Amino acid sequence: MRRFLRDNSLGLVFGVLFLIVLTGQAFAGHAQFDQQQLVEVLPPVSLGRYVTSASFGTDVAENWQSEYLQFFLYIFLTVWLLQKGSPESKSLDDVGLESDREQEVGPHATPDSPKWAAAGGWRTALFSNSLGLVMGLLFLGSWLAQSIAGVAAFNEEQLSDRQDPVTWGQYLMEPDFWNRTLQNWQSELLAVASMAVLAIFLRQRGSPQSKPVGAAHTATGVEG
Amino acid sequence: MTAILDEDLPSPGTVVTTEVYGQWAQVRLTADTVFLGVFPGGWRVVAAGCTPRGGDRPYDCVLQGG
Repeated sequence: MRRFLRDNSLGLVFGVLFLIVLTGQAFAGHAQFDQQQLVEVLPPVSLGRYVTSASFGTDVAENWQSEYLQFFLYIFLTVWLLQKGSPESKSLDDVGLESDREQEVGPHATPDSPKWAAAGGWRTALFSNSLGLVMGLLFLGSWLAQSIAGVAAFNEEQLSDRQDPVTWGQYLMEPDFWNRTLQNWQSELLAVASMAVLAIFLRQRGSPQSKPVGAAHTATGVEG
Repeated sequence: MTAILDEDLPSPGTVVTTEVYGQWAQVRLTADTVFLGVFPGGWRVVAAGCTPRGGDRPYDCVLQGG
């Protein structure tokens, strides 16, 4: 058991932290929602009612979609884009999809390779892009969820302000949808650009996200 | 009650459409639009005799409750 926890501590710790922080967001969001209820002379709602509300749904989904977009872009673009001196970049000579030998696919698969890496055809092609594709699908799914929960939350505000509700299609053209979307995208893109560039000159001893402390600033694609 | 009857509210008609989002609802009648909110006892009308003012501007309502 101790061994299992140690060997999986990265995924487990982030998973537990996610649940703690999501719970914190639910309590903080509930308190804010009830403050607004008071302003509108409506009775407070229960925590259960709040966490199933469109307001909570869109607040959660708008952050999820931008995180998955970040990973989707990062995974696909780092196939072709380089950053000299950054551990986030591959070696300057390895631009592109690389050879089957380097990627251990088809006849170059090893006995330990996943079955679909050795299978060839559509299965290898699909498995070769599965990480980026799943991130892309999770992005599209959570962006869609943001828009569906968002239009309901938006219409709740519209009715409280004695305005007409809008359809889902109309909501996609509303400033509320794009403000929620773009404010998350810009922060993710800034974080990626910062990481790619700062990791050229700065080090974190022992972290695989950093180059070894003594590695040259010009060394690219080296992880410590 | 008399005060409400003194207001120049449109005569009630049949329901044309209803829209419900969270704690709020909008009911369009043939000659009126009313807004409702959820209270412990159920739905209550919070605005009646409402006419649209066009664009993104809120409805102009004869009666507004708090």
